[in-house]
Amino acid sequence: MGSQVMKAPGGTAAVAPSYARRSRQLRRLVPIYLFLLPGMALFLTWQLYPLADAFVMSFFHWNLLEPSTFIGLNNYQRALSDPLFWQSLRNVVVYTVITVPGQMVLGLAAALLLDQSLRFRAVFRTLYYLPVITSWVVVSIMFTYLYNSQAGPLNYLLDDVLHIIPNYQIWLGDPNTALPSIATMGIWKGTGWNMVIFLAGLQSIPREVYEAAKVDGAGAIKRFTHITLPLLRPTTTFLVVVLVIGGLNTFIPVWIMTQGGPIHSTETILTYMYKKAFADIDLGYGAAISYLFTALIFLISVAEIRILRRRYEY
Amino acid sequence: MRRLLLSFLAIVCLSLAMAPAAHVAASKSVGSSLHGTVNYWNAYGNGNSAEAQALTTKVIPAFEKKYPGIHVKNLSLPYDGFFTKLLTSLAGGTGPDVIRSDIVWVPQLANIRAIVQLDKTSWFKAYAKQVFPGTLSTNFFKGHYYGLPLDTNTRVLIYNKTVFNQAGIASAPTTTAQLVADCAKIKALGGGHYCYAEGGTGAWNVLPWIWSFGGSITDGRYRTAAGHLNDKGTVAAIKFLVDLYKQGYLSPSILGGGLSTTDCMGKNLCGMILDGPWMVPIFKASYPDLQSGLSLVPKGPGSGSHSVVGGEDIVEMSQSRNKPAAEAFIRFVLSPQAQIWMGNVGQMPVLKSLSGSKQLPSYFGIFQKQLKVAEPRTPSPHWSSIDDIISTEVQRALRGDASPQSAMNDAARQVNALLH
Amino acid sequence: MARRFLGKTTLYLLAIFGALVLAMPFIYLVSTAFTPNAYVLSIPPVLIPAHPTVQNFIDAWTTNNFGRYFINSAVVAGSSTAITVLFSAMLAFAFARYSFPGRTVLFYGMLLTLMIPTLVLIIPQFVLAKTLHLLDSLQGLVVVYSAGTALNVFLLRGFFEDIPQDLADAAAIDGAGIWTVFWQIMMPLARPALAAVTIFTFLTNWDEFPWALTSISSGDNFTLPIALQLFQQQHQTQYGVEFAASLIAVVPVIVVFILFQRHFVSGLASAAVKG
Repeated sequence: MGSQVMKAPGGTAAVAPSYARRSRQLRRLVPIYLFLLPGMALFLTWQLYPLADAFVMSFFHWNLLEPSTFIGLNNYQRALSDPLFWQSLRNVVVYTVITVPGQMVLGLAAALLLDQSLRFRAVFRTLYYLPVITSWVVVSIMFTYLYNSQAGPLNYLLDDVLHIIPNYQIWLGDPNTALPSIATMGIWKGTGWNMVIFLAGLQSIPREVYEAAKVDGAGAIKRFTHITLPLLRPTTTFLVVVLVIGGLNTFIPVWIMTQGGPIHSTETILTYMYKKAFADIDLGYGAAISYLFTALIFLISVAEIRILRRRYEY
Repeated sequence: MRRLLLSFLAIVCLSLAMAPAAHVAASKSVGSSLHGTVNYWNAYGNGNSAEAQALTTKVIPAFEKKYPGIHVKNLSLPYDGFFTKLLTSLAGGTGPDVIRSDIVWVPQLANIRAIVQLDKTSWFKAYAKQVFPGTLSTNFFKGHYYGLPLDTNTRVLIYNKTVFNQAGIASAPTTTAQLVADCAKIKALGGGHYCYAEGGTGAWNVLPWIWSFGGSITDGRYRTAAGHLNDKGTVAAIKFLVDLYKQGYLSPSILGGGLSTTDCMGKNLCGMILDGPWMVPIFKASYPDLQSGLSLVPKGPGSGSHSVVGGEDIVEMSQSRNKPAAEAFIRFVLSPQAQIWMGNVGQMPVLKSLSGSKQLPSYFGIFQKQLKVAEPRTPSPHWSSIDDIISTEVQRALRGDASPQSAMNDAARQVNALLH
Repeated sequence: MARRFLGKTTLYLLAIFGALVLAMPFIYLVSTAFTPNAYVLSIPPVLIPAHPTVQNFIDAWTTNNFGRYFINSAVVAGSSTAITVLFSAMLAFAFARYSFPGRTVLFYGMLLTLMIPTLVLIIPQFVLAKTLHLLDSLQGLVVVYSAGTALNVFLLRGFFEDIPQDLADAAAIDGAGIWTVFWQIMMPLARPALAAVTIFTFLTNWDEFPWALTSISSGDNFTLPIALQLFQQQHQTQYGVEFAASLIAVVPVIVVFILFQRHFVSGLASAAVKG
């Protein structure tokens, strides 16, 4: 990044004297850094510093009112040998594997559907976006009501109306159905968000490309697989990375609907960390759990970006 | 990649230098006469709740009238999140002076020295003598008293008279055997009726049964769970619940995801629940047509009726900068007048002198009777984990994943590890 | 494109079906908000309440200071969204189109913060906020919320990268500095992406709860999410009132969405490039 060969206006390649080169470079870089400064300063102060601080504290027995004691890797060793840590990790991976593809597929379908010039398009988009704008807290309370095993509308619909299930199910009280139930809610809530992002992505594909392809005789499916999908690559990459991070970080729905139960079948890393850190006042341990988890997410995300990311010229 | 690591290392080293020191919060105290501000945090709910009203329109004004120099700044927070907010405020040294603390938080707060040992003050003894011993003991931790009780409660049997009439049950059961017999009658009603509903499997939920069957969590000194959490009485209590569940007498809401006990009772679908004094005003507001009655927790074979002590304690934070004023406020909320004001909105007083008082709601009587045979939960800083272990193991027993005995054996083993 | 693939009627039917599934719980939310509390959770469930009432809304609005909390949230969410979107766009633009020492480190650093469970940071952040005098004030909230640029930067960088180089080169030859290129050329081109980012950022800041609860210690400064949480009391929740309050709280978010979603309609000025 440091040294570049600059072309003199005459057209002949010449290596300028060092000081001139460096001052030219500085002149180029200073406006960039100034441009970055406001956003970066805020970010570094507020996010990166506490991040490092909490990381350091994960090696301590973190006391609030007295000096903390250094205990090295103790918190990390405890976490790695804690069956509930692994159970939470398993749960949250399952949740992510269900919700991410689910909401992406449905979101893309909705975006394709509503990219057409249908009448009332804006109305449909708003309706599809309703789950997204309703806060997680309200949605969780709503679905707790919907999933109610004695008086919930879902059981009523599936049993009394459609006769698909034999009797009322205890959706949230059965370790086998609790996590999938919450995951279904996650897909429901995220579809609209995916739709919005895909819509923005679809807009950035110029119409000419489609026109050219149509002229070349490409059918609808071929245009989709050869133009739309590849050109949506940055959007898809973004969504995969962000949704996986979000899915692994699930907290509110579980906290409100099942508190991690029954029998820890819906316990996520975050609910577990929160209980350890704040209910048990074991903040160093909570930090260790968080950073182990973060390392995992970081590796997964970098892998995703490397695999999915590619630039397109057209 | 190398640059990435180097930069991160730099930030880490910087933080290493600063971090541990940054987490020792300074606390100064302004020792002087009674004036200034007292910051009081509680979870009485928003301004619509009767308790918050009573506090802000009666108790606090009366206190400020008595001590014109002191201003009480009241902050009513959501219950969920209260403890976390308290902990972060400790880290920053911006916490309150006095809090209304759930009794299970007291050992934890005492353990990290966040609250003051009130028994070291000159006035403590006089006030300690005035309250019920059982309620006072919820403030005890490792040899000292860290607060005073503020309000107390327990769980009694609340039964639905309409459902009882329909099932042909004359009066509330006084023994667990009678309860099972009554359950059969209610089950015969069919159609979504359940005999008994319980909101969860935590200690608060199952302890009345465990104790009423003669079991316990630990020994009397709270030192060991082995041989107690898995003794005959405890296992019998769990088996009792498992049998109720298997026979369809116990509402599946105990595992989560069903009707709340309030709604089940209010909609005349449940015959009995265990709950506290707050239910009386709640039923009046939400289900005014409900016909209900109150009775003691049924006793198990060879044992008496026992229930669990709940309530809140009033404690002083060590970081308080206005301890004299804070302590004046604590003394005031324990005065008979303040206790009666809060008593009238469902907060049962802790003063012995007010027992049976005509100025209090009449339904307090049964709760006070139950309180005489109610026990506190294990005072341990690890209570949250202990509760979780008990809850999980009872769930496993209910679902049939483990027999009551083996589930309780597992529980005793895990809880033991935490007590040592 | 898909129109030739499926008939128009099918498209409408699909759209309506999707709308029903996605909107149905919300319809129940509205229905419950108009239901008196004793009739909530009735069996069988009813979509249209038998005894509709507006009492829940009255109760919600008159619960102490609800109106004031609403305004607090509006002020905080509004200003922090504007600042966040601006800063995010600036950062994303610089990351996308300029090379400079530290670019990779900073970008991955921002990504890293997305992966940390934010709850674990709350104590260091609290101590930091105390030092910087950002506690217990609406301005403090605005500053803190404005630091949440990471997700937006990640999204916007992709969009800025895809804008063809010709435009930027043309501007550079004309002697435009980084700010001019950003403001006059890039921002208009990224309008759909900026609209999306505005919608999401406003939603996030409007609903933010953990930090608001932690940093605010005066009842006057509460924001709406805290007020909503107060409806869930220790021993009971009155669903009717809570849902009514949530409905009131959701109105600004819907408004912001409707206002900004029309930017998804126009395509990009690709013609200006190809020419």
